[in-house]
This record gives sequence, structure tokens and C-alpha cells, in this order.
Amino acid sequence: MTDTRVSPPPTSEAPPKPREVRHEPRRPTDSTLRSRVLVVGGLAIAAVYFLLPVYWILVAATKSTGDLFGTSGLWFANPRLLDNLENVLTFQDGIYLRWTLNSVIYAGGGALIATFVSAMAGYGLAKFWFRGREAVFNLILAGVFIPMTALALPLYLMLSKVELANTYWSVLLPSIVSPFGVYLCRIYAAAAVPDDLLEAARIDGAGEFRIFATVALRIMTPALVTIFLFQFVGIWNNYFLPLVMLSDPNLYPITLGLTSWYTFAGRQPELYQLTVGGAFVSVVPLMIAMVVLQRFWRSGLTQGSVKG
Amino acid sequence: MRRHDARTAAGFLAPFGILFALFFLLPIVYAIYQSLFTIERTGALGLGGEEQVFAGFDNYVDALQEPGFVDSLGRVVVFAAIQVPVMIVFALVLALLLETASARGVPFFRTAYFLPFGVPGVIASILWGFLYVPGVSPIVGALDQVGIHVDFLGGDTVLLSIVNIVTWEFVGYNMLVLVAQLQSIDPNLYEAARVDGASGWHIVRHIKLPMVRPAIVLTTVFTIIGTLQLFAEPLILKPVSTSISSHYTPNMAAYNEAFSNNNYHLAAAEAVLLALVAMVLSFGFLRLIGRGGDRR
Amino acid sequence: MIRHARRKISVLVAAALLALSVAACGDGDDDSSTQELKPGQKVTLEFWSWVPGIDKAVDLWNSENPDVQVKLSTITVGTSGGYAKMYSALEAGNAPDLAQVEYQELPSFLLADGVEEITQYGASDDADKFVDWQWEQVSFGDEVYAIPQASGPMAMFYRQDLFDKWGIEPPTTWTEYEAAAREIREHGAYIGTFPPGNSAWFTALAWQAGARWFGTDGDDWTVDIDNEATRKVAEFWQRLIDEDLVKTEPDFANGWYKDLQEGQIVGWVSAQWGDAILRGNAPKTAGNWRVAPMPQWDDASEFASANWGGSSTALLKGADYPEEALDFAVWLNTDLEAVDLLIQGGYGWPAASDAFSGSVLDRADPFFGGQRYNEVFADADEHIDKSWQWIPTTSQTYEHLNDGFQAAIEGDGTFVDAVEQAQGLTIDDLEKKGLPVAGE
Repeated sequence: MTDTRVSPPPTSEAPPKPREVRHEPRRPTDSTLRSRVLVVGGLAIAAVYFLLPVYWILVAATKSTGDLFGTSGLWFANPRLLDNLENVLTFQDGIYLRWTLNSVIYAGGGALIATFVSAMAGYGLAKFWFRGREAVFNLILAGVFIPMTALALPLYLMLSKVELANTYWSVLLPSIVSPFGVYLCRIYAAAAVPDDLLEAARIDGAGEFRIFATVALRIMTPALVTIFLFQFVGIWNNYFLPLVMLSDPNLYPITLGLTSWYTFAGRQPELYQLTVGGAFVSVVPLMIAMVVLQRFWRSGLTQGSVKG
Repeated sequence: MRRHDARTAAGFLAPFGILFALFFLLPIVYAIYQSLFTIERTGALGLGGEEQVFAGFDNYVDALQEPGFVDSLGRVVVFAAIQVPVMIVFALVLALLLETASARGVPFFRTAYFLPFGVPGVIASILWGFLYVPGVSPIVGALDQVGIHVDFLGGDTVLLSIVNIVTWEFVGYNMLVLVAQLQSIDPNLYEAARVDGASGWHIVRHIKLPMVRPAIVLTTVFTIIGTLQLFAEPLILKPVSTSISSHYTPNMAAYNEAFSNNNYHLAAAEAVLLALVAMVLSFGFLRLIGRGGDRR
Repeated sequence: MIRHARRKISVLVAAALLALSVAACGDGDDDSSTQELKPGQKVTLEFWSWVPGIDKAVDLWNSENPDVQVKLSTITVGTSGGYAKMYSALEAGNAPDLAQVEYQELPSFLLADGVEEITQYGASDDADKFVDWQWEQVSFGDEVYAIPQASGPMAMFYRQDLFDKWGIEPPTTWTEYEAAAREIREHGAYIGTFPPGNSAWFTALAWQAGARWFGTDGDDWTVDIDNEATRKVAEFWQRLIDEDLVKTEPDFANGWYKDLQEGQIVGWVSAQWGDAILRGNAPKTAGNWRVAPMPQWDDASEFASANWGGSSTALLKGADYPEEALDFAVWLNTDLEAVDLLIQGGYGWPAASDAFSGSVLDRADPFFGGQRYNEVFADADEHIDKSWQWIPTTSQTYEHLNDGFQAAIEGDGTFVDAVEQAQGLTIDDLEKKGLPVAGE
């Protein structure tokens, strides 16, 4: 296969000069000290870049409003983390906790249903032929290209007519639709779910849905986890949809809630500290989740690409 | 296997199909419909009454004649032209570095790079906003000390500053996609290459990169689509930057048109135009590199 | 068999089309029937606002009025998205009964048919409870569309301690302001910043200089932005920026707060509600600020101040219990206890006449070194030109000015160019909305 790709531009770290590039769970053999230093050095510099804002928010979350603007960003000054945290969690009758709960509902609930619905659709597309199947699939894929602005306002007007605007449903329902999820499930189901297995089950007299639920779903699990995580993070991080749909602060997810504090901060300066504190609280658990889930994610992607 | 195929398929597709029709197709049809109308007012001071009249493509003409909107389209294309290579190359470099034998502490680094993905765009913008503002930012302060005066939030630099935020958020994710693909390469290929006398660099160029190509294509297309829809990051930086207007990106322009100027019809036209540009660029890219869409 | 799939799809499409036609018709059928309150009936009014501290006033009302409860929702500041919410709620037919509407946004609401006319519910009886020019702001001819709440009479905040240290007198005219700016530069600080993204501030300065941008002439709207007075103001600030006498950073942002706190910026021509901003964001400078009257133009025949910001409590269209809502709106903005609570929240300068003397505002303040600083603002409030009006596309005019100023600061054109462009673009805005403009 000829290589027409552009090779990566020269970076400050020279490419490794190993005698043996073994691809396997990290079992480094003879790489030179020099290449190790270069590679790890490069990785470390990148790590500083990625972790700098995290570090900053950790430091900033411990400061008072005055110190936030008055002292150097890189080091602590009169740390009062617990006080700040308490303020964040109790401000306006603990609305922050409410926001967290809302985010969990939207992201958790939405992703769960999205995964299931996408799995069904992807499986259906993969395993059953009908005329116009590719056209339907392409139509679904085209959905990925639609910008949120085109959808948000008409959606808002539509939902208002049935009095669903400014409710949990107004954010949940649109979030359940995941064309990407259908795409992934279709690919995965086509590659990983053997037809003979399905045939065997049919011969045994099982109904189609039963086959799907017991046989296919189990095999498709890595893809399902991937879609769940992808959708969860996407909904959790979504700002535009709740911005348009919601006006009652009790329904806000964290993204909307924190930005509302931030925009108020000009008039109510203590909100700067609260925003920073709130961002810190929201970011930490999610990062822990990223650490834990990263493993599942990797295996999900690996499976996906291998099968692909 | 073809028995009752169509009916069964319909059954499985129904839940998604209904939701998709209701929450994707219907709004876009409605948006296109709205983009073809406009409002006419009568009476003294125009306060007498209003009615919705058919306007054909007038709104589209208006949108394209508005210098602000056309600028915003150009801007996101430029943004994409910068963002996409930066993102892909950075992700690729990180992925390759992590996968070499010389790497140490890989799980730690991989996690570190992936962490920002969990931070919502608006929060990331708030964070980086603090890191950009002179007087508050330790970075600006440090650079000042060595005599470099950077204005992250002004003029043309602010676009690069936004590129930075988006890169920071998503490189880790894209890197994981590439890593996954890299790890699926059969190690025997490396053996064979080594036997043939290939150097490390050679292996990267002729084995790793081509094998990673599908993943690169995937991430590129999604990056293009996401980049063209840029909205949250500039919106958050707007109050602290002197260069971000309310129509800095097409999505912001449409949002502004709809929600501040109450001109839903023009906003709908702008949103449709943006969708078209996104589709043209994405399909164009796929066509360019010889793929027909979704042949995986 | 294949047909089944096709049939399913066509059913979906038909359903979609049906839903679409339902959505397309029936647009804007809001509930316009008002209802009579039966004795003993409990009512809940929805109120959207962003004013800090207004919740306390609402709580007070709720405790005193068990039958008419007000439910407050705090939303984003109007210009940052609050109005967007209101417009879309109106469009969808589920708008709140009462809302915070700034004066400059009222014509826009009028155009969207979003506010109730309230003289029909007896509002004219309340006219004399409010300062004249603010009552003008909420009126359109004989019709009234909101209850005035607060305004922002302007003066100049400055760092007395640094002025003393550097031997500078607080300027009384703009010429002196420029001279003071030069002196302050010698000491490495700035007299203030010109915020390029905040053209509402510039508008107020033009207002002070005697400009009259907007108005009506019979059935037409009039637009006169690039007049003499405005050009004068634009050229003045262009010069100050060109000679690096003022900064050009955004106000109400971190960098600016830091500069205030650290004495990099030592003055601020601003409205009365700026006191809360200084207090909150530059706490370490307490005791060092004073307030002086706004600098005047040399050719001004009499003392003139201006207004920056100002808002009202409006009844949105479709309010179910307009009389009760009106009662609340009037109470909120005239009742002494309510007004005191609002003042403490930092809402601005009260629109109620005689609200100043004896109120929380009328005292010496330690943050201002013991100065009875609000007296300066009270005086300013008496010297604001009453004839200033707004148009339905004011927010777009602000955008045009913002864009023009930002471009000028980056070297592309001048402030005067920005003003001229805004003139043309504003007329375009009105015409695009189908509104008649005089002379076009």
C-alpha cells in the first residue's frame, strides 16, 4: 500500500530510534537512554499543557475573591478551600447540587435510552435487508451534519406547543437521538454478530426481539459502552440545547448553571469565586470518571477498529 | 434470512426512526420552511400589525449580503483549516509517542491527555479565559517577565486562542482513537519490516501511518463538522475580548439573529446555509481522499 | 414484505407533515383573555428578573400578600440572553406575567407585541409617583407600557488618594479630563478605559453631549446618530486612545477589576450603580474613592448629566391577572421598604420620586471615605435630558457601534467612521424589519 499521508512534521523530540519496536503491553526492551529521555520529555511537556488549567483551577478554588484577582495564579494564597466548597454547595439553597442532579438525569438517562435505541436501530440495519436500506442509513448519517442552531429554535417552538418546553423532557428527548450511535452499532453488529448464531437461535424458535436482547446485545457490549460514554459526555457537556430550552434555574444542568453564575459575576462579584469553585467541583469527579472509564473506552474503540 | 426482513427491520428501527423524524427531520424541515418567509409590518411606526409573507430566497440573499455573516463563514473555514491539522497532527504525535518502546509511564500520560475531554466547553473557556486575561493570567505574567507581550484576546490572536481551547479539549479523545487503531496493527508487520532493514522512522511512515488512516479520516471529518459549528467557546470569551463580535461564528450569528433580533426567518436561513457548508466540506473531504462515505 | 418497511416510512412522513402543518398554523395563539380574581382565590404571578437582591423585595410582598404570590425566576441579564428567553417564551405562548425590561429594550418589545398596555388597568394614576423623564421612557404618547424601576444617573468615580498624591484636581470639564489623563499617565496609570464592546456607555456620553439619536416623526422613526454632538464625543475618545491616555480593555471583566484594585485605573465615569461594582470587585481600595460630577463640555450651556442603563417592570402580553400584576409592579418600585431592599441589593437609582432623601442612599459612606456620594447622583438625576428615545432595534445599533469601535481600535477606521456606519446600518435594520423611516 502506498503511503500518501503527510508524515508528522518534525517535532522537538526526535522520533524514537529503537532497535526493536515491539507492539505489546509495555514491555520495553532495548531503547536507548537518549530516546527514552526524549520521548518521556516530550510526553511530559504535553502533560504540563493538558494539566495546567486543572492545576490552575485547583489553586484558584482555594482563594477568596480578592485573592483571586490579586495574587499570582500559580500558587496558593490564604487557602480556604473548605469554606469555598461550602459556599458553592449552599449558595441559593444548594442549587448547585440540584444542577448536578439534573446533569446526571439528562446525561445518564439520556445516554442510557440513546444507547438502547441506537442498538436496536443499528442491529436492524445490519442484520435485515430491505429496499432503500442504504438510503435510510445515509439519511441518518446526514443527521450528524445538522447544526444545533437549525434545530434548536424550531424544536423549542414545537415543544412549546405541546407544553413541554422548560421541562426535563425538552432536553432529554432530543438527546436520545444519536445518529453516530446507530452508525457505530450497525458497523459493530455487522462485523461481530455472526449470522449463524442468529440462525441457530431462530431455528430454536426464539423471537427476533428475544434474539436481539439475549444474543446480540451481549456481543455488542463494547460498542454499547462506547456509545453510552460518548453520549453521556456529549449530553453532560451540552450547553446550547439547555440554553434554548430552559428558563427555570431548577432545571439547569451544571453547564448552564455555572455560566449563569459567571455572567452574573460582574454585578455580584462573589460569583466569580463561586464559579471557580463550582467548576472545580464539577471537573474533579468527571476527571476521576475519565480515569476509570478510559479503560473501557479504549477497549471499546479497539474492538471497533479491529472489526472495522 | 430474508423472511419478514423488512418488517422486522422496521420494528427495530421504529423507536429511533420516530425520535429521529420528530427531533431531527421535523425541525430541519420547519427551519427550511421558516427560512422562506419574512414578516411585513403595517401601521404607524410599524406597530399596527404584522403578517408572515412568502419571501422565496430573500432571506438567503440577505444573509449572504450581510458582511458579518459571510465573514463568519469565512472565519470558521479558516478556523477549520488551522484547527483540523493542528488537532490531527498533535493527536497523531501523541499517539505515536505513547506507542513507542521508549515511552514510560504511559497510563499516566494517556490519562492526563484524556482528562480535558470531560470538561464541558463552556467551563474550559472560563478556565482558559482566566489564563488569557492580562493581569490575572500567570502565563501572560510569566511571558511579560521575559519581555514577550502577548495579547491572547485581541485582534487575530483570539482565533488562535480559541483553537487552543478546542485543541486542549479534544486532542486526548482523538489520540485515543488513533491509539486504538495503532494497537490493532499486527506486530508481525514490524518484524517483517525490521528483517528487511527498515529504520524506526521508516516503520512509522510506511506501516503505522497507512494503517491508521481510517481513524485519521474519521477524526478529521468529525473535527471539521464540530469546528464549523463553533459557538460556546467564543461566546464565553466575548465579554473579555475586544475582538469577538456577536456574529463571530455562523452559529453565533444565527443565534443572535433569532434570539436578540427576533428575526427567526433570517436565522433559519443562516442555519441552513451553515448546514450546507458543513455538508459540502465534509463530503468534499471524503470524496477527496477516495472514500465513498461509510465503507467500513 | 418490502412494502411494510415502505409503508412504515410513509406513515412516519405523513405524521411528520401533519405535525408540521399543525405547528405552522396556530402560531401565536397566546392566551389573551384576562381573568377576574374571585374573592379568596389564590394567584401566582411569574416574574423574571436578574436584579440582585430583588428576591428580598419579592419575599416581602409574598409575606404581606398571601393571596397574590409572586414566583421569581432569576434569569440571565437581558442583553446576555435574558431578553432572548423572554422573546422565545412570548413566541411560544408561555411567557411570565412580569419581567425586567430595560428602557432601551421597550420599543423592541412593543414591536414584538410583547408588553401589555397598562393605562387600561389604571396605570395613569401612578404617573406622579415617578420621576418625569423615567415615566417618559415607559410611555408612548398617551400609552404606558411598563412601570419605571431604576436608572443610572452618571458622575465620575475617582481615586482621591492617588489624585492627592499626584497633585491632580478632579476634572470638571472634558478638557480638564484630558489634561488629568496626561498627568496620570506620567505616573504609569490610566484615568480610565474605553470599553469597545460596551457602546451603551458611549451612547450615554452622546446623550450627555446633547445628541438625540432616535425619535419618531409622525408615523416614521427617525435616526440621527452621526450628528455634531456624537462626532464630537467620538473624536474626543479617538484622540485619547490614539495618544494612549486611556486603556481599551473591556469593563466588567477580570483584567479591569484587577486594574481597579491595583490602582492601574484610577477613575470611572459611570452610573450610580457602579458603586456596587467597585465595592465588590475592588474591596482593597475601600475608603479611597470619591464621586465628582460628570465632566462637562466647554460649550455646554448648562450642567448636563446622562443616564446609563435603567429598567422597568413590565407586564408581558398575555398576563392572566394584569391588575394584580400592576399592583405588584407599582408596589415593588414605590413602596419605601421594597425600594430600600432594592437599593441594598444595588439595583440602581430609584425611579420613584423622592425616594432618595431619608433612604439608605442618603448617608455618608465609608467606602467613599465618608462622602455623601449619592448627593452627586441625586443632582445628576435632575439634569438628564428628558427627550431621549429608543428604537426597536437599539440592540442592533449597539452591535454596529461595538463592531465599529473594535475595528477602529485595531487600526481599521476611526470612531467617527464607526458612528457613520452605525447610522447607515441602523436605518437598514429598521427597514429590514419593515418599519418606516423618515426620509427614506
